[in-house]
Amino acid sequence: MADSTNGTSFASLFTCYQVLCHTPLTDRDELIREMVRALGPALEHGEVDDVVQAVLEREAQLPSVMAPGIALPHARLRGLSRLVVAVATSGKGVRFSDEDDGLARLIILVLAPHDSPAAYLQAVASLARILKTPGSADTVAELDTAEGVWRFFERGGLVLADYVCAGDIMRDEFISVRSDDTCEKAIDLFARHQLADLPVIDAQGKLVGLVTADALLRVCLPDYILWMEDLSPIINFEPFAEFLRNEGKTWLADIMSDDYVMVDEKAPAIEVAKGMCKRGVRQVLVVRGEELVGVIAIEDFIARVLRE
Amino acid sequence: MSSVHKEGMGLRQVLMRGALSLLLSGGVALLAYNADYTLPQILSCAVFTMTVLATLLFWEFRLAVAFLGIATLFGCNVLTLDRFVESCELPVILFLAGMMVIVGALKELGFFSWIIELIVSRRRMTGLAFSLIVMVLSALLACAVDEVTSIVFVCALVFQVCDTLRVPPTPFLIMAVMATNIGSAGTMIGNPGGLLISHRAGFTFEDFLVWAFPVMVACLVSAVGVLLLWFRRDIRALSDALEERRKQKLDLGPLVKVPYHRGLVIFVVTLGVIAFHHRAESLLGLEQNTLLMTAPLAIAGVLMVWRRERAKHYIEVEVDWWELLYFMMLFAKAGALEHTGVAARIATDFASTFETVPELLLPVIIGVSAIGSAFVDNVVFVAAFVPVVRELSSTPLWWALLLGACLGGNVTLIGSAANIIAVGVLEKRHRRGIDFMEWLKVGVVVGLVTCLVAWIALSQMADRMPEHPAHPHDGWGAWPAEDGRSEADH
Repeated sequence: MADSTNGTSFASLFTCYQVLCHTPLTDRDELIREMVRALGPALEHGEVDDVVQAVLEREAQLPSVMAPGIALPHARLRGLSRLVVAVATSGKGVRFSDEDDGLARLIILVLAPHDSPAAYLQAVASLARILKTPGSADTVAELDTAEGVWRFFERGGLVLADYVCAGDIMRDEFISVRSDDTCEKAIDLFARHQLADLPVIDAQGKLVGLVTADALLRVCLPDYILWMEDLSPIINFEPFAEFLRNEGKTWLADIMSDDYVMVDEKAPAIEVAKGMCKRGVRQVLVVRGEELVGVIAIEDFIARVLRE
Repeated sequence: MSSVHKEGMGLRQVLMRGALSLLLSGGVALLAYNADYTLPQILSCAVFTMTVLATLLFWEFRLAVAFLGIATLFGCNVLTLDRFVESCELPVILFLAGMMVIVGALKELGFFSWIIELIVSRRRMTGLAFSLIVMVLSALLACAVDEVTSIVFVCALVFQVCDTLRVPPTPFLIMAVMATNIGSAGTMIGNPGGLLISHRAGFTFEDFLVWAFPVMVACLVSAVGVLLLWFRRDIRALSDALEERRKQKLDLGPLVKVPYHRGLVIFVVTLGVIAFHHRAESLLGLEQNTLLMTAPLAIAGVLMVWRRERAKHYIEVEVDWWELLYFMMLFAKAGALEHTGVAARIATDFASTFETVPELLLPVIIGVSAIGSAFVDNVVFVAAFVPVVRELSSTPLWWALLLGACLGGNVTLIGSAANIIAVGVLEKRHRRGIDFMEWLKVGVVVGLVTCLVAWIALSQMADRMPEHPAHPHDGWGAWPAEDGRSEADH
């Protein structure tokens, strides 16, 4: 069933009673328990302990620090029929991860129905649009009352996105190479990061191609060598030796392919799945205009859409 | 037009094309009825037309349509089991199966890898040299093995060089395909159409070397001239890219020590036996073409014993049973055209039309077969026209049919199996095909020039050509079909 969120404002997902303003709690688990309790009847038939357990399990997989000072603990619950939210602000901060920016002053608990893959992502996508502004966590955390916090979101006019965009689920930190890099660099990156594909960009960040590990192999083992049943001429990787001698002067522009799947960051995320299925690729490149802004690997897609 | 050969046709498209096929086949049947053809003649015409249309409109279903057509002919008593066995050209089919096994073994033994390495390793390659090598190699390989094998291996060479140099492969693929189609007229093993002609006209390999090969060479030279001129900018771009690569001291591909000797020996022995089959048959007192047809089977058998762990692979993967079964059905339907007397009637019409100017028959046969095979696979056209030419009993017309069908295959990108394979490989590799019109422009020029050359060459040689028996072997699809009447009519 499609999620209908047309025009749903984020502020309508919670009330002032679900805002814990300046919480004195500094322990993450205790805070989450308090936030779940604050949800009260909004939990429908969910037991507090079970919900807390689900949120902490998700948190154990990957800390939910979304931006400096902001944490978005979340879980998908069976039996829940709609998205519910609780908000907490903390003067001292609550540690959500061991990283330097792991201390959260604004904590937003999002609980989504288990069978609604888009709900949580839609909420996160909407929040990201205002909370990624530097200092926004501090702004909210310094508000004095629960009503003030609720009004912040209400006044912000934050509306749940109609659908999740490619840009919402992409990984915006990725490894890329330049077309004037050599194969040597690409091999180093493939080996070090265990990648299968490397997007190729030009000096302006424009996407110009894709280098695959398969393409590198095929440079060494073209069709006419693979036809042979007898492997004795290549048993000691002879074609690879020649390639290694020349890797420093073989430009990636010479082996990169223009056969890749790319989507605009504003395109519905389902386009990503379509591209992966129809073209049989494991990674989709996300562009803004012609500039490469992110990548979505099939593993990320499954994790975000089916588990987060 | 390339969508004709793509999978995944919509229901509406299937219905429309199906209706068109039925309409055209029905139209042919109506024409035959109006021309006072008998019922078996009308049926064989309609079924053959349907088979031809299936190759054009339902490429992936063409075998299914061929099966249904044969079943219709059986059901209507136009074809009997005995006639089917006689007319499906089993020797030709077995020859092709044997050659496919040999080609599969040659590939695994590194023979084709060695040829490509020889070219890739050339130090002073230029765009012009590469274009000439591609065209000559395509033509010679088509002569020595067959057009499909030739284009598969030459495509690999073109992609290796063009992809390495980052230049568009399309012009060089077109050159390779056109040279392959021309080369396939050079010997009887160049394409199944040539094999069928040799079988039905009683030509030996040496006959092909004497009468077809020189004409093929003349056509190739003229086509090379046209293609070098047509693609001069692309050739220049390739030269520049080669020069750039040379400056960087980079090869065009990895070079390894290919163990080619065993493959070369097998290739030479196979070609030798085929080339001298006629002399050996005379020496051994064997029936004509016996050795020719059985040699590939014998060599394939030896290879399958030697490489017994690969024997099943050769038979199951290397032999293209889909094509072979299609050819069997096609030949049987052409046989039905012959034994019902359709071929004789068409031949009589041809003869009476050109009674006063018989010298026109040569260009007409070249022209008709070229135009016909521009739109349907040349084997289909040869199969349809073999019975007609047999009835006309004139040796030069056999060569005209062979050359017209092979040269006409260059006109459109659906004209022959080689064209379709090359476009398919390009689509698979680069996700883009060749525009129908882009091909047609150069195809028409090359087709016209080569057909003209073939006509001039054949008309010069016609007087010196010996008469060949039209019915070389009793029982090889030769039915009495005199005066336009057939056994079925009696």
